[in-house]
Amino acid sequence: MTIHDQQSRPPEHDLHGVEMTPDERELLDLFRRLRRLAERRDLAPCVSANVKQAMVMVWNACNDLALVDAPPGHD
Amino acid sequence: MPDADWPAYWNPKHETLPREALGRLQARKLHRLVQGAYDRSPFHRRRFDAAGLRPDDIRSLDDLRRIPLMTREEWMQNQAERPLFGDLVTRSRDDAIRYHLTSGTSGRQPLRVLDSRADWSWIGEMWCYGFWGFGVRPRDIVFFAFSYGSFIGFWGAHYASEKIGCLVLPSGNMTTDARVRQIVEMEATTVCATPTYALRMAQAAQALGIDLARDSKVDKLIVSGEPAGSIPATKRLIEEMWGAKCGDTAGMTEIGTIMIFECDHQPGGTHIIEDNFIEEVLDPETGEPVPYGKEGERVVTSFGRDFIPLIRYRTRDLVKKVPHDTCSCGRTGDIYAGGILGRVDDMKCIRGTNVYPRAVESIVREHPEIEEFQIVLTREDGVRDEISVHVELAADRQDAWQGMAKHLGRALADAHEGLRFNLELAPPGSLPRFELKAKRLQDRRAEGAR
Repeated sequence: MTIHDQQSRPPEHDLHGVEMTPDERELLDLFRRLRRLAERRDLAPCVSANVKQAMVMVWNACNDLALVDAPPGHD
Repeated sequence: MPDADWPAYWNPKHETLPREALGRLQARKLHRLVQGAYDRSPFHRRRFDAAGLRPDDIRSLDDLRRIPLMTREEWMQNQAERPLFGDLVTRSRDDAIRYHLTSGTSGRQPLRVLDSRADWSWIGEMWCYGFWGFGVRPRDIVFFAFSYGSFIGFWGAHYASEKIGCLVLPSGNMTTDARVRQIVEMEATTVCATPTYALRMAQAAQALGIDLARDSKVDKLIVSGEPAGSIPATKRLIEEMWGAKCGDTAGMTEIGTIMIFECDHQPGGTHIIEDNFIEEVLDPETGEPVPYGKEGERVVTSFGRDFIPLIRYRTRDLVKKVPHDTCSCGRTGDIYAGGILGRVDDMKCIRGTNVYPRAVESIVREHPEIEEFQIVLTREDGVRDEISVHVELAADRQDAWQGMAKHLGRALADAHEGLRFNLELAPPGSLPRFELKAKRLQDRRAEGAR
């Protein structure tokens, strides 16, 4: 299983084993959606570059809250 | 929002996490780091294989000690054997958005680092822990006395300030006088500099007839790059001259950012950002852990930098760890009392730049006309560190001085992030000779500080 496979599972708990708050679930969902966009190669440069910028910033918030345990990739 | 309404912590969830939970988080991140390094970094895979370890062997913090310590020399050798970046890196150069370097431990070869977009976001994030912890808030106006060059220095702090929402004043190559004037004119509230340069600016202000404590709005100085930020006498002097509180931080090019910072309770030390780093303190001779309150060598494991996984990296920094509750701020990250106390090896820090005497020697020795030399460190005006190389030429090669001095000075600066070396010609036979262990470095800075 790769890092990204594990991240893409729908966890209900953070890395501490504590159930995520609604805000945390929303944040993680946002990160995943941005990462899916960041993976794409068919987007305009202005979209791709800005999505990647946004994705790594949201990843930081997820990392700070122990919602993910690995770098995002696709940056 | 008024400052008082903001939370005290940048990351309340982790900065106050009970230590048991913090340990479990570190163990989980460690396993993931090791697995990723094994899969993506040939350098680390070879080291693990040589030690007979597999990633699944590393499941707890107790397992950490099974991993061999990594040294800067190994890393540099790896880059020398596989130029330019070695195979410690986990990704190709195409994925990087930035290149930085730091002076090497020997010769001209620097240590080269690459970082991705996510890495830089994380680098800034670590500085946010420190800046927020020392009281920086969105209303602050932050002045950076920093050259914005190949040295990684305050780059991450700049991004952190922007992320927090501060107004950032990058001073780049401004003169010291111009910097002082802009700090006053733009009503900067926070100044970032090395401790030495903070004092230098204060002296320059006095010469200009400016009393920074009275005429400026600065209430926070955040210093980095030298141990002096946690030396009580130096810190007190900075605080008196600026009329502001002074907070210490410390980082390193090898991890790209800071791993410790002083909070606004100023406990006489620096909190470790323990949700992003494992900081061990070991006896430098035996490699055994030392208890709280005893000096030892910092060994860092870093979780956030994707390009460069550092696992049990020997920093050669001398530290003394004390429990988190030595400070009343509520953070559960342990503290390095007095920040970085010094070095286990012979590296010297001159105006924020690392200088290894053996690296200087290897460049000096490229000139066969040099018969003997001495490296002399002094402290000018009580604050400004200077490095001089006294050179003695062979008696029949005195004519070589003019051309050689220019070339040697440039070569030394190029190998040390532009640091100025003062070169002096010594009369023939005047420098000491050595039969056994040579002592070619004289550190006279303590004499100058008195």
